[in-house]
Amino acid sequence: MTHLAIRGLTKRFSGQTEAAVADLNLEIESGSLVALLGPSGCGKTTTMKMVAGLLEPTAGDILFDEKSIINIAPERRGAVMVFQNYLLFPYMTIAQNVGYGLKIRKVDRAIIDQRVSEILEMVRLPGIESRRPSELSGGQQQRVALARALVVEPRLLLLDEPLSNLDAHLRFELRDLIRDIQQKMGITTVFVTHDQEEAVVLADKVALILDGRLRQYADADVFYKRPADEATARFFGGQNFISGTSANGTFEAALGSLKLPSDAPEGTGILTFRPENVRIGAAADGENTLQAKLTDKIFLGTQTRLKLAVGDDIITAIANPNDVEGYLVDQEVPLSLPPATLWVLTK
Amino acid sequence: MKWERVRIPLMLGPTMAIITILFFGSLGFGFLQSLGYQPQIGNTGFSLDAYYAVMFSERSASQFWPGLALTLWVASASTFISAALAVGLSLLLRRTFFGKKLAVFLFQLNLPIPHLVIAVGMLLLFAQSGLVARFAGELGIIDAPRDFPVLTRDPYGLGIILAYIWKEVAFFGIIVMAVLQSLGEDYEAVAQSLGANRWQRFRTVTLPLIMPGLMSASIIVFAFTFGTYEVPRILGVQHPKMLPVLALEYFLNPDLNARAEGMALSIIIAVIVFALVFLYMYVSARTVRKS
Ligand SMILES: Nc1ncnc2c1ncn2[C@@H]1O[C@H](COP(=O)(O)OP(=O)(O)OP(=O)(O)O)[C@@H](O)[C@H]1O
Ligand SMILES: [Mg+2]
Repeated sequence: MTHLAIRGLTKRFSGQTEAAVADLNLEIESGSLVALLGPSGCGKTTTMKMVAGLLEPTAGDILFDEKSIINIAPERRGAVMVFQNYLLFPYMTIAQNVGYGLKIRKVDRAIIDQRVSEILEMVRLPGIESRRPSELSGGQQQRVALARALVVEPRLLLLDEPLSNLDAHLRFELRDLIRDIQQKMGITTVFVTHDQEEAVVLADKVALILDGRLRQYADADVFYKRPADEATARFFGGQNFISGTSANGTFEAALGSLKLPSDAPEGTGILTFRPENVRIGAAADGENTLQAKLTDKIFLGTQTRLKLAVGDDIITAIANPNDVEGYLVDQEVPLSLPPATLWVLTK
Repeated sequence: MKWERVRIPLMLGPTMAIITILFFGSLGFGFLQSLGYQPQIGNTGFSLDAYYAVMFSERSASQFWPGLALTLWVASASTFISAALAVGLSLLLRRTFFGKKLAVFLFQLNLPIPHLVIAVGMLLLFAQSGLVARFAGELGIIDAPRDFPVLTRDPYGLGIILAYIWKEVAFFGIIVMAVLQSLGEDYEAVAQSLGANRWQRFRTVTLPLIMPGLMSASIIVFAFTFGTYEVPRILGVQHPKMLPVLALEYFLNPDLNARAEGMALSIIIAVIVFALVFLYMYVSARTVRKS
């Protein structure tokens, strides 16, 4: 169990003007699973490699249990990285791959064999010791790669998009397996992903990185209810952004005045609310109810997406198909925005 | 479906035919000659006399066996040393440093230079009358050029080995660097994060990964250094002579009977190379499977 602290971590590759990772600060609780979330090229792998010691930071510090490890050789840090493309050693059997870290540590052969079969059981691949990596499917190879990392009982497990090369079905299965094992072994884990759903389902906390900068670090639900800024809200599927002023618990905008939750920030800013929180139909007490015109309606299978015009503003809503079956495009439709689901982005 | 099956053999056909005719044709013709079949001078019978003469006759045995030993030594030493050097240099050149491009260029500079030129260059540089010896003499490191170690035309083939290394390091280097490039560094990163130090990473990850490429290149270099005559002809001594030089001399002998012996010797060289290559592949495949 290791507490990980990243302080002011920066990486600028030679010959590049923009830093790949800029002044990153992150505290990861011992034994927790944190998702490092961000689009391609935002610096996730670079961050992981710096934590593992495979890349030298331009500036900043990394601490394991409050001790700087920046000068400790990667092979002695105990931070094991698992890559997207498995990277099993092709010339070794599965048992040799999994036992690699133990063999390096000169552990007794009999103990290695025993630990290897235990850990293979744990990743639900019992009895494949004598097979070769080329004989396994992608999902199996990634589970072996995971076993190879777990067997050394690392202080820190760094998973760099481990599920990106797998199809959806396998992804769900492995996601649960990783969560399961992480809970059981209690290894502090950083899980890198560009898939917000994966991050939300898997992690205790999510760190969102955009353009090499940490935008928000919080429990998963906070990203939906209290996004830090517009880019964060958009990354998590937010589509409604309306300019106006927040004062005394109400938001004044062109489309009218709306009641806000009590903790909403004050000042000029942007009102945001999630499409799935827009209620079609007037509220019972008439609170935050607006008259809109339905401009578009798209059936998405399990949901229907509606575009609703309120004056010059367009509001996107997602509703249960049954609830909005009767509405036709160009029809006048009342909608309501429950105050608890609103949030204001200032600055 | 049926068409697909014959299409590729048909397309490959002409090339394969030429290769087969040239290869087996010349090998067969040479083999016939080595058996004494030379209709031009009236020999139409077959015998193993030439083989016997090359290996065991009083006249040739004293040339053949020391020659064989020297050839084996030169070919294995050149192959092994240049492979090891190339691996080391390629690993160094993989790192980023100031002047890397220039270093890579210099490393591969002598690739297109013919072996003959390298051999002559060796003479000019390292002979006792060569530049290095004269410089060393001028600088007082040695008293006279004669004190310079015998690095060319020496009985142990050191000059020959040096010339081959000079040349083959670049060849190995190209192959090893290409393999390293295509592998990337992530395998080693995984090993490192699992606790492997530099030497352990090299032994358990880098080397096994480049081994297939290194092995193919070694076979090529070994077969080449075992069977070519330019470099040993220029940098070798009168006795012992490497086998390909010996074969060439039989061949250039105005006595047409010697031609059968030259052919016999060439066939012997080919057989030894084939046998060693197969043995090598067999043993290394087994060690790979075992470890
Ligand atoms: N070795 C390198 N040299 C120069 N630039 C690099 C190097 N590695 C990464 N970069 C740059 O740093 C930035 C961040 O890369 P990084 O691989 O960390 O992104 P990522 O978030 O892991 O992306 P992905 O989701 O595609 O894996 C990119 O703009 C990339 O081009
Ligand atoms: Mg990445």
